[in-house]
Amino acid sequence: MQLFVEQMLNGLAIGAIYALITLGLALVYGILRILHVAHAAIYTVGAYVGLAIFSATHSMLLSAAGAMVFCAGLGFLIERLVYFPLLKYPPYVPLIGSIACLLAIEEICRLAAGPYILSFPAQLPFPSFKVGGIVISSTLTAVYCISAGVLLLLWFITTRTELGLAMRATSQDMAIASAMGINSHRIISLTFMIGSAVAAIAGILVGIYYNQVYPSMGAVPAYKTLALIVVGGLGSVPGAVLASILLGVGETLLIGYAGIPLPRDALAFIAMIAVLLWRPQGLLGGRG
Amino acid sequence: MSEYSITIGTLIAIQAIVACGLNVIVGYAGQISLGHAAFFGIGAYASALLTTAGGLSFWSALPIVLGITGLIGLFLGLPSLRLREDFLAITTIGINFIVVSIFQYVPFFGGALGIGGIPRIVLFGERLRGVSFFFLTGGFLSITLLICWLFTRSWSGLACFALREDETAASSMGVSPVRFKLTAFILGTAIAGLGGALYAHSMRFISATDFGFPMSVMILSMIVLGGMGTLWGPVLGALVLGILPELFRPLTDYRMFLYAALLLLMIRFQPGGLLGENSLARRTFSRLKGGKS
Amino acid sequence: MGDPLLSLREISMHFGGLKALDKVSFDLHEGEILGLIGPNGAGKTTCFNTVSGVYRPTSGEIRFRGKRTDGLPPHRMAALGIGRTFQIVRPFPNLSVLENVIVALGLRCYGRLLSSCRPWKGRRAREDAMKILAQVGLESQARQKAGLLPLGNLRRLELARALALKPQLLLLDESFSGLRHEEIAQQEELVRKTRESGISILLIEHNMRVAMGLCDRLVVLDHGVKLAEGTPETIRNDPQVIRAYLGKGGNADAS
Repeated sequence: MQLFVEQMLNGLAIGAIYALITLGLALVYGILRILHVAHAAIYTVGAYVGLAIFSATHSMLLSAAGAMVFCAGLGFLIERLVYFPLLKYPPYVPLIGSIACLLAIEEICRLAAGPYILSFPAQLPFPSFKVGGIVISSTLTAVYCISAGVLLLLWFITTRTELGLAMRATSQDMAIASAMGINSHRIISLTFMIGSAVAAIAGILVGIYYNQVYPSMGAVPAYKTLALIVVGGLGSVPGAVLASILLGVGETLLIGYAGIPLPRDALAFIAMIAVLLWRPQGLLGGRG
Repeated sequence: MSEYSITIGTLIAIQAIVACGLNVIVGYAGQISLGHAAFFGIGAYASALLTTAGGLSFWSALPIVLGITGLIGLFLGLPSLRLREDFLAITTIGINFIVVSIFQYVPFFGGALGIGGIPRIVLFGERLRGVSFFFLTGGFLSITLLICWLFTRSWSGLACFALREDETAASSMGVSPVRFKLTAFILGTAIAGLGGALYAHSMRFISATDFGFPMSVMILSMIVLGGMGTLWGPVLGALVLGILPELFRPLTDYRMFLYAALLLLMIRFQPGGLLGENSLARRTFSRLKGGKS
Repeated sequence: MGDPLLSLREISMHFGGLKALDKVSFDLHEGEILGLIGPNGAGKTTCFNTVSGVYRPTSGEIRFRGKRTDGLPPHRMAALGIGRTFQIVRPFPNLSVLENVIVALGLRCYGRLLSSCRPWKGRRAREDAMKILAQVGLESQARQKAGLLPLGNLRRLELARALALKPQLLLLDESFSGLRHEEIAQQEELVRKTRESGISILLIEHNMRVAMGLCDRLVVLDHGVKLAEGTPETIRNDPQVIRAYLGKGGNADAS
């Protein structure tokens, strides 16, 4: 029982981190209909920049802020320089552009920081608990609190602010939104910057959680998150979050606890195909 | 020619064959597939198993290999009847990951070790290697191109073009979407299976990682860069993407970065492909032609 | 009059709770031009889509040449002899105008494996297609990409494609909308000629003047229900029809 609860807690943490990564992808898909594989590269860069600032200043706050700003800028550049000019082409064209970005950025990380696994020895200022023999470490608490905070903040932005309204209008119909006086290009850029900043947080959290930062850390999330946004219903942010948490828990329980020797990376896709057979529009996707 | 460049040439020809197969599905019938390497792999594994454990010769195994890949292609083409573009794209990625994990985790397929000791191809009593294998691959590439050319000229090919352009209109002209999408999937995956069989007998050792998602992306990039839906596009794309990394080889550390950066630049500035419409090559060509007449 | 070419019996089509069509019945006889009219949202296009096989009706039966056809997919309906055009034109944009028509000429080849392997780039297909393009007056644009044509020509291209199917029944979905005055006159002329060549026509039309002038009989739909049926003369004076139109903000202004 104790093992089960511990695995649940770990799974929840992994799911929460998946959610932070998938979120940006779902936002971008919702607004541009682009499969933004390079999002995983932004997340890798977030981890590296965060680690660099942390090593220099030993301030977690500076590290997070710096990584978020840097990644927001990177997301902005990718959107302006790569995606926007390719919007009028069939969807596989921006997708290949995105994959090329992912590879190029990974290589830059490798060239700049070396091919090694770096450790991220940060202690987050969160309390640890001990309940009935089960230890919830401060890292776990941090992952829960931070991801819940970020998700709440984003929920607030997208549903309760004018910016959120403009974002939803733009994702419904860019031309009409523009006609109604929304600067849709700026909204798209903002969406990218928000998604990328969140990816930076996810990168730092993963770095600390596994105490590992390495150039190809984005490779597996890059494609797994694609499966997640499909399961959630393409472009549906709550759906993507729900799917992420379910997958994090499911993976950990099936592989870690039940000991089913399923390849972890394929599991997301098996779940995806199962969901698609049952509900072709995804868990929380609308019809059409 | 050095032995090394012959190996590279053979590999490029094999990838060109596989790319031609994907071109049938994506370029002709307009069905996005991001998991084509899975069929490349299924062909390779089928041929490897039939010729090692099965004891068949390459030639008697080949029809079975084509049948198996075509059949699995038919089965995995079924989602295309139900899913729209992006869902289909991600589903095919998923199929690629799942097929690779099956190769990797099921002992029958050699597990993580892969399959070794694949025999050489024997033709007219001679065991093919080096240059003669290269010519065999070239021959198969020519046959593949011929088949693709005949396909574009057949009513089936025209039906696929119509489906690519507008499915609703095509079906009101008597084109059955089910029938012709699946035709394209069967033909495209069987061609990938041919490429896989050649790959297995050229490498003589295969493992699951050869056929992962990065390979699918590479094949798709080949046809996009070469010119989607054109006859020679896949060959040109395979040449460009096959030779580029070799040119960068002396740059060791920067090689992968330059490759990725160039891919990015090409897709950014020639998104219609090097032979596609409005491409630099096409415009130059038509200007030259215009100047003459 | 003998058996009708097309007959709809109590066709209903429900989308969730919405009754787009509610027990609609009418017949179309050989050689007839039958108009389907009604205010926006009356169910005209839904009715078309059940006839052409895009939708399977929730209940009721459709017979074409005496054979049950409801629920058959669109490509089977095309093979049975029903050609159609689309309200929002659907050309194959990257194929040439000629190739657009040739796609429809392949109707007899798509069903069988052997014949679908035969080449289409032959002289006969080209000549047949050119003949049809000449009928609609598009022969000079034959080499152009269909995606580059203006709307008027696209409407004619749709007609050419439908004619290339050599249909017995032609379904025209607002083939006149978006056209200029002289284009409308040309299109009317084309439709009349088509009927003279022995093809029966079912058409949806918004423009009352065109519908009244062209059709032998009219069926009026409103809110998914058949309101009236008869010659243009009787429809024009039917109080129910007048109420339906005027009550909706006067769509009948064109008559």
